[in-house]
Amino acid sequence: MNRWVVLLFGSILIWGCGPGGKSRDSKFQQYIVQGEELYVTHCSNCHQKSGKGLGLLYPPLDESDFMDQNIDSVICLIKNGKSGEIIVNGKAYNQPMPGVPLLSDLEVAEIATYIYNNWTHDKGMIEVTRVSSILEKCESR
Amino acid sequence: MKYGALIFISLLILSACKKKEQPLPIFGQREVVGNDTVYHHIANFKFVDQDSSLITNDTFKDQIYVADFFFTSCRTICPIMKTQMLRVYEATSDIPDVKLLSHSIDPEYDTVALLHSFAERLGVSSDRWHFVTGVKDSIYKIAQTSYFATAMEDKSEPDGFIHSGAFLLVDKQQRIRGKYDGTKEDDVNRLIADIARLKKEYE
Repeated sequence: MNRWVVLLFGSILIWGCGPGGKSRDSKFQQYIVQGEELYVTHCSNCHQKSGKGLGLLYPPLDESDFMDQNIDSVICLIKNGKSGEIIVNGKAYNQPMPGVPLLSDLEVAEIATYIYNNWTHDKGMIEVTRVSSILEKCESR
Repeated sequence: MKYGALIFISLLILSACKKKEQPLPIFGQREVVGNDTVYHHIANFKFVDQDSSLITNDTFKDQIYVADFFFTSCRTICPIMKTQMLRVYEATSDIPDVKLLSHSIDPEYDTVALLHSFAERLGVSSDRWHFVTGVKDSIYKIAQTSYFATAMEDKSEPDGFIHSGAFLLVDKQQRIRGKYDGTKEDDVNRLIADIARLKKEYE
């Protein structure tokens, strides 16, 4: 009897930890944890830990219509970088972003999963298989 | 009664904390000439800012300023430095005699037009924050000899330059009164507090 109570209580605790009450499997959690670490190393200098960007130099990620509408291009630009003007939330940004070509497909997937499930985003896990097929089709800049 | 004595002693100890604030240190070598002490000060310079205005020592006459070294295409520490310098800019917005001076260490790439657009995109005004470009060697030289900051080309670095992330606090006699790590929020908080302290020296 006692064991069941403990088990039930434990499950509730674990269940309760997932944001929005949704359960997240451990692979998803691992993507998020690794993704955050990679984000801090490669992205947060410019886009800030808070995802708010900086002035009109570096666009925000915390709320971004560009991110919402262009998942494939975002995955490409994490690895390959991007130059030229982009419009984010109605504002023009034009600072070239260097890519991080050394990132593996898995690392790109982890960063993408982190940024797409943080701040205001809730897009769910972005699997490495999906990332690999997108990366094959990136247009060269 | 015993407690009364204890409280009295505690108050006495606490009152010692309220002693007069020490003035900020003056950095660099000093020489005594006759009865005067001559302190290290910023050498003469002549650069051009984002509005093509000539920026010299005279620009900062009767001004306190904060200097740093960066370049616009830098992706390592500069964005963090600019985030932090923007905090200094905002924290000093009500103090008319405090200015900011950011030197480009990649002046061939960072033209006036590029710096103009950079400052505009950062959303800052050129009468308080000058982004300057000029002769590369003069910028490196003043960084190293006047501001004790590192700035040089190094092709082995990811962005092609090595430079320190230091912010230097310069007083109205163009003497360095503080050096801070412009990539650390805590250190920049200390800078903001020190600006207020330095300001009091002139009141």
